Amino acid sequence: MFDKKSYTLYKFHKELNQSFQDKRELLECALPALRDLFKLDRVYFFDWQQERAILSLKMMCKKEYCMDMQEDISVANEPSFLRQLLQEGVAETTDLSYPALYVLIRWLRPTMELKSGEVRSIMREKVGVLRLERFRKKRVFTSQEIDLIKDLGQEISHNLHNTEIDQAKNQRLNISTALNDLSTIFASSLRLNDGLELILKGVQRYFHFDRVHLYLTNSEGSRIKSVLGVDISGNVTHESGDSLRDEEKQILKEVFDSPATYRAIRSVIYLPLKVQRTKVGFLTFDNILSRRKIGYLDFISLQQFATQLALTIDNARLFERVQELSNYDELTKLPVRRYFNEKFAEEIYRAKRFGLSLSLIIMDIDWFKQINDKHGHQIGDWALKAVSKIIRSSLRQTDVPCRFGGDEMIIMLPRTNSEEAKVIARRLQSRICDITLPDRDAIEPEHLSISQGISSYPSDATTTQDLLEKADQALYVVKQHGRGSFAVYREVADQVQQNEPTDEKTDK
Amino acid sequence: MLLWVMPDSGARTMEDYATLVSLFKKENPSVDVTVRVFTRNVLWRRVFTLKDPSHEEKPDLIQIPHYWTALLLRAGVMENLSQLDPGLSLTDCLLPLKENCYQPGTKDIYSYPWWFDLSALHYRADHLKLVSAHPEEDLKTWSGLLSICAALRETFGDVPGYYPMQNSDWRGSLSMRSALPCVWSRGLNFFTEDYAATLVGSKEFKDALRDYITLALKEYMPILRERGSLGTIVSGKASMMISRKQGIGSFSARRGVRVQTLPVPAAGEKTASYLSGMNWFISTFSQHKKDSLKFIKFCARPDIQLRYAKMIEVFPAFEEAFEPLISSTPRLQIYKEILPTAHILPNMVIMGTVMEILKRVLAMCATQIVENRFTPALLDRELDLTAKEIEFLLSIYKG
Repeated sequence: MFDKKSYTLYKFHKELNQSFQDKRELLECALPALRDLFKLDRVYFFDWQQERAILSLKMMCKKEYCMDMQEDISVANEPSFLRQLLQEGVAETTDLSYPALYVLIRWLRPTMELKSGEVRSIMREKVGVLRLERFRKKRVFTSQEIDLIKDLGQEISHNLHNTEIDQAKNQRLNISTALNDLSTIFASSLRLNDGLELILKGVQRYFHFDRVHLYLTNSEGSRIKSVLGVDISGNVTHESGDSLRDEEKQILKEVFDSPATYRAIRSVIYLPLKVQRTKVGFLTFDNILSRRKIGYLDFISLQQFATQLALTIDNARLFERVQELSNYDELTKLPVRRYFNEKFAEEIYRAKRFGLSLSLIIMDIDWFKQINDKHGHQIGDWALKAVSKIIRSSLRQTDVPCRFGGDEMIIMLPRTNSEEAKVIARRLQSRICDITLPDRDAIEPEHLSISQGISSYPSDATTTQDLLEKADQALYVVKQHGRGSFAVYREVADQVQQNEPTDEKTDK
Repeated sequence: MLLWVMPDSGARTMEDYATLVSLFKKENPSVDVTVRVFTRNVLWRRVFTLKDPSHEEKPDLIQIPHYWTALLLRAGVMENLSQLDPGLSLTDCLLPLKENCYQPGTKDIYSYPWWFDLSALHYRADHLKLVSAHPEEDLKTWSGLLSICAALRETFGDVPGYYPMQNSDWRGSLSMRSALPCVWSRGLNFFTEDYAATLVGSKEFKDALRDYITLALKEYMPILRERGSLGTIVSGKASMMISRKQGIGSFSARRGVRVQTLPVPAAGEKTASYLSGMNWFISTFSQHKKDSLKFIKFCARPDIQLRYAKMIEVFPAFEEAFEPLISSTPRLQIYKEILPTAHILPNMVIMGTVMEILKRVLAMCATQIVENRFTPALLDRELDLTAKEIEFLLSIYKG
């Protein structure tokens, strides 16, 4: 048979024998149980803050409920009382006008530590204190009661230990699941930037950071190229590396000089993104506004995640580079015909669907064959590069130029009618006319010129093939009239009927 | 509907809210109301995790200090009350409380006033009579307060556990809220007029905090001690207290104890008081927005405002209840004098963070004082660092 003490302990053990989500939930169960068992008026739980040598009140339980309360007691103010508490595990305060008993609670909690580059899980002792008060009837605590309270305190310690281990495990599991989910989302997104946005938003949400920033460097890792950020509202920001403040640019050096920076007090983490020796960029996480500490466990998980992210970004960049090489002409850096055809079809579809205009310019360099014959192919290539450079710098971001073949280039101008296309053609003509061929022997500088034919959707044609044909016919008319100019198909249509172009270009 | 509230009336908070909720339930029997009480510290941490999808507890209505509005609005956790009820207005609300309800720069209401309080100096008339013929005159300045403290210490030196000042801070530590009147009294503020820079690192700000800290440093006020063991005005182990109004009524109710109230002694040229307000906001993630709004409107009703203000001894936030309360008793007449000197913290995104940083500075000072290692130079250094931190925050969040 159980004696009374054993039975009480058993009952208390049974009451606490359940899985608690966290320390708070456990205390919300344990404190009322103690209150009822010993007919207490109030029970308190304090955390022992070693660094400040302070007992800091966390929770109070009275009558039917528990609630958060605040009270800080410095050990420096109460040395004898605390000495007794630490030595004997219990101490009765004599300063109060009613009986109050302090009971020491010690338990081990799992924590992480970084030692010489490797992560170690260790157990660190935590100390808490219970304060039990009887202020109504002022009944003093008997020695049997004090013995029993000490034993129950140990039961609470044991449960706190288990709860903290469960909590750490759950936290770890949640983090792994969250990061795994995010990696899957990232892997399935087609565009690098979209994927990165999703990742940053997800990390901010799961880890409750105020802000998350991803700084991407250039391919040499020497300069910050762009910054993608998510702020406390969840808004995404894009910034060019050039617009950063000097001190922000300095971070790059700082981050790569130290392997990983964990500044818990400042609630900031910097994590470099590296693949072998290649610098990809770095991540920053901060809780500067909310001033919440970033847990070490979070830091370790993010560090592992950063390695994975760096590899993925590097792979995605390589893929983009390969795509770029296959879509762009190496000499002129203009898109190739295949890429242009895809974009052209998309834009025609968009123009038809939303009733938008679209224009096409076909151009070639005047007397290009003669330039090649007279100055050699090197100068011919130089001329092509110079013209395409002007084209690239003179267009809007939405316009798509293309090297169609030889010296023939095409420019697609979405949302542009023939009048607007003429403005662009005139601008190109004037800028290209300023190019002089680099011939040291020439007495007179030899200027380049171009001829351009323009067709527009829907006024001249409604299909890609027809638009190309009409622009080519307009170009032919320009050539017939001496080159160095441009023409819109609609305006020269009557001349086209009389002068059908032959397959062989006259200037080649 | 789940309410997250702050311990308005200390250990009695749950009972007081139970009374309020039962009144609400009489009119709205179908609405279930659960109340959870969190301290400012816990609430501060919790409001930043409201967005967490794994959070099981989703509060509907949350009570916050007035100066958190801009911050939580930026964090995206506040419901636009003007959108929820276009008829909602702040017309009858006391003027100083209005600014902290809006989205800065707009008239969109995001948090709604609940109650407010004013800091003042309360003293035991019988105690002061022993050391001063004219306490009203002697307690006009901070230096006067310190002289009175010294005289009281002398007079009550043989009373065990006696302190001239009772500590009104819940934690029993140094509190920024109590220090604020010293700052404002010197004509200072946290920021320059254009809110582009902070004045926390200025000599005047440091002096103002030192004025307040002197109370603990000279052991005129206890810090970091077991609360229950400390002397109070009522027990006769303290004679004065700088605090809000709360609790003063019950002091006076005790037989033989007459508590008088005066404006906080001026540390600078003029007297200043801290107006601390409490507001409600509805969480963006609430599933019971209509019921929450109903509760907010219920709390703003003059009869409820008056009843709750009397219950927890604070001031109603609306004119219609404020006037009757202040006229109801001669003891409160002094607040007509104090209210025009009251200052409120600005509605800025970083204000809550600034208060958290300064709270940490004062907590550190308190530890240093009890361990006898506090020096003014340490405080100055901390405030210089704090100023840099605030400048950094300003650069990110533009206030």
